[in-house]
Amino acid sequence: MNKIWIEEYKKDLLGKFENRIDKTWKNHNELHLFLKNEQDIPEICNYVYNDLSTRLATMICTDERKLGNGFVIRHVFGKENGEDVFIFITSKIDGAILSYPSIAMTVPAATLHEREIHDMFGIIPIDNPDTRPLVLHEHWDKNIFPLRKDFGLNTKIPRQKGEYSFLKVHGEGICEIPVGPVHAGIIEPGHFRFSVMGENIINLETRLFYAHKGIEKLAESMKINDVLLLSERIAGDESVANSTAFCQSIEKIASVIIPRRAQQIRTIFGELERLYNHMGSLAGISMDVGFAFGSARLNILKERLMKLNESLSGSRILFGVNRIGGVRCDITDESKKIIIESVGFILSDFENIVTLLKSKSSFIDRLKDTGIISKQFAQDIGVVGVAARCIGIDVDSRRDHPYSAYLLHRRETPQEVMQREISMQKRNGDVLTRFEVRVQEVLESFDIIKASLNLENDNLYINMPQNLESFRSALGYAESHRGQTVHWIMTGENNSVFRYKIRTASFFNWPIIEQAVLNDIVPDFPLINKSLDLSYTGNDL
Amino acid sequence: MKRKSGKEILGNSIETVRGIDNQSISTNYRGSISFNKTSLKGNEELILDSCPTRALSAIKDSGQTTIAVDHGKCIMCGYCNQAEPEFITIKNKPVSPTKIKKLLVEYSNSHIQSEKSFEEIGNELREKIKKMFGRSLAIREVDAGSCNGCEVEITALNNPIYDIERFGIHFVASPRHADILLVTGPASKNMEMALLRTYEATPGPKIVIAVGACACSGGIFGDTYATTGGIDKVIPVDVYIPGCPPRPEVLIQGLLLAVDRMITNGK
Repeated sequence: MNKIWIEEYKKDLLGKFENRIDKTWKNHNELHLFLKNEQDIPEICNYVYNDLSTRLATMICTDERKLGNGFVIRHVFGKENGEDVFIFITSKIDGAILSYPSIAMTVPAATLHEREIHDMFGIIPIDNPDTRPLVLHEHWDKNIFPLRKDFGLNTKIPRQKGEYSFLKVHGEGICEIPVGPVHAGIIEPGHFRFSVMGENIINLETRLFYAHKGIEKLAESMKINDVLLLSERIAGDESVANSTAFCQSIEKIASVIIPRRAQQIRTIFGELERLYNHMGSLAGISMDVGFAFGSARLNILKERLMKLNESLSGSRILFGVNRIGGVRCDITDESKKIIIESVGFILSDFENIVTLLKSKSSFIDRLKDTGIISKQFAQDIGVVGVAARCIGIDVDSRRDHPYSAYLLHRRETPQEVMQREISMQKRNGDVLTRFEVRVQEVLESFDIIKASLNLENDNLYINMPQNLESFRSALGYAESHRGQTVHWIMTGENNSVFRYKIRTASFFNWPIIEQAVLNDIVPDFPLINKSLDLSYTGNDL
Repeated sequence: MKRKSGKEILGNSIETVRGIDNQSISTNYRGSISFNKTSLKGNEELILDSCPTRALSAIKDSGQTTIAVDHGKCIMCGYCNQAEPEFITIKNKPVSPTKIKKLLVEYSNSHIQSEKSFEEIGNELREKIKKMFGRSLAIREVDAGSCNGCEVEITALNNPIYDIERFGIHFVASPRHADILLVTGPASKNMEMALLRTYEATPGPKIVIAVGACACSGGIFGDTYATTGGIDKVIPVDVYIPGCPPRPEVLIQGLLLAVDRMITNGK
């Protein structure tokens, strides 16, 4: 199917911008346009984004000076309405002053990407209104660009003096509350600066990237099988989603199709991961409104699911499930029995707890109309996952860009489609909606797992070609419990990774929290934060 | 009158674990690697090369090659087992925490120490905390750039199954209230200063526990431009808990060791 769509988009874009496009090519479900001049980026991106109604999937910069290409910037847009197509707008940057025109004003989601590229490559996005550093905090040398090829992985940079300036809110009675990067709970590092008037939050500024570990740079020095382990550790609780995206990208480069059984097992583990994390989030929501009983019961279910994970994969958080070309751990007939048994048990318990929670007016009261996000803002910054679905932005990679065995489960009748659309319209983006969306997704996950258990009698993996072709690239994607995660890999010589670009759901979802807490009170912040379930490490890399 | 069981009265059975022995760890669990033979015949290159975190090393002595594994670096990927299944097997028994980093290194001709059940350790710990502090033990968790796998396990300590509070252990909100810092991650450069300041803000006597392979050695993230390669490069570490991530059982063992150390050192 996607061949037809790609041809159509190609014809359309060539018809419009023929004399500005150097060449076009196709790579599976990706349509690539190579621009003659980087000055045309805004106009063409604007057309693809607005007129073809796509969403920004990621922005990738590579240092290809060694290959004689200079720096290359790729703007990747994805269709999310059932057409499985990604459009790459590629341009070369090799002027004396490394710069390109920013698209932040038309595609706001690009703002963070452009700042990241500025930090890591030193390429200036002209007209991006936000020129502050993002990844490398103020104590880094301004002339250090870690992802350039001439920067050594192990270079130690001495600390410099520098202070980040937060936005100051002035006025009588305005106070500032600094929080983090070491938090009160057992969570990851990040800094929040609240400006409050009494209890009401007037402004929130988040400062992240405390957990920046240089994953993208590190991958370039590793063997490809070790990068797989690295991809599992981008975020420990998204290990299956991230490693699936990584594997898909390599499999696409090698043009292999993994055995059906492996696809089904990937699906099952992907859903098990969603299950235990959603349980954790729901438990956290219950905890943050002060209802310890609900959180205790849900945490018991989470622990049971982690025990199940352990018996199936050997790791409580599902490390070591995937391998390039398939999966490493099998689901035997015996484990199938264990799955059916525990899942049935957990499901009935879960339904009881949810009924109980919904019947408690003091619980619902705290959730209702708390942390409302605006649809327009969410659309603009490209929010994905539960955070998008809670406001009626119907994006889900499992349906929009089917991978693994998801194609099977998603045949909806026209009536079901309509019902889904109506329910989407009704969603208002508060914590309660996110709670309900999560509950619904948990129930769906149970169904998907059950449906995937009729495993094909097949191999666990397919042997990969000895050598991957160098300087080939492909996009891999998966829907983690936080939303769409997109990985892009360009292979190097001798089975190495030339560039590994990771964009997890959290990277798009973090800015939404600054808007969601406005007009709420400070004690609601933990609740809103938990309901959005954002990952620090997945954002910081 | 027939006495009703707890489940009949409560509606649920009691979920909290009493004794976790080795049986409750699934046989599939990748806990630690162990060596089948004392020395390796043939080529050690293959086996050393298979390890992504360089946890394996070879010592040549009078024609014999002994392989050593640094559990502080091992992330339990199982690649060495795939490379040399006859020499290396994967056991479900997790590695014990240690006070001395060198003890994390195990040679192919040594044994792992024995361990007690979760509740036995917990009760022992409670007694010792009482002796040392005359009250409960307060922990501050600091994430210095981990992948959040360790956080998932530390959070699990608080769930009704492990319920660490019954032993008198609390997670507190500020380092100023803490006796113990539980630190995860490879100590990213951006967290270095915050970690140092947290350490300084903690009143003595204080103990620092490095949790997980990253905290012990940098783990898979190693020592790069963005990381410092282990917590002990930034602040002094008293106890190392290996694992990727360590199980709740192993975490509580590490806590016991930490309190032990406080008593013996009088820190």
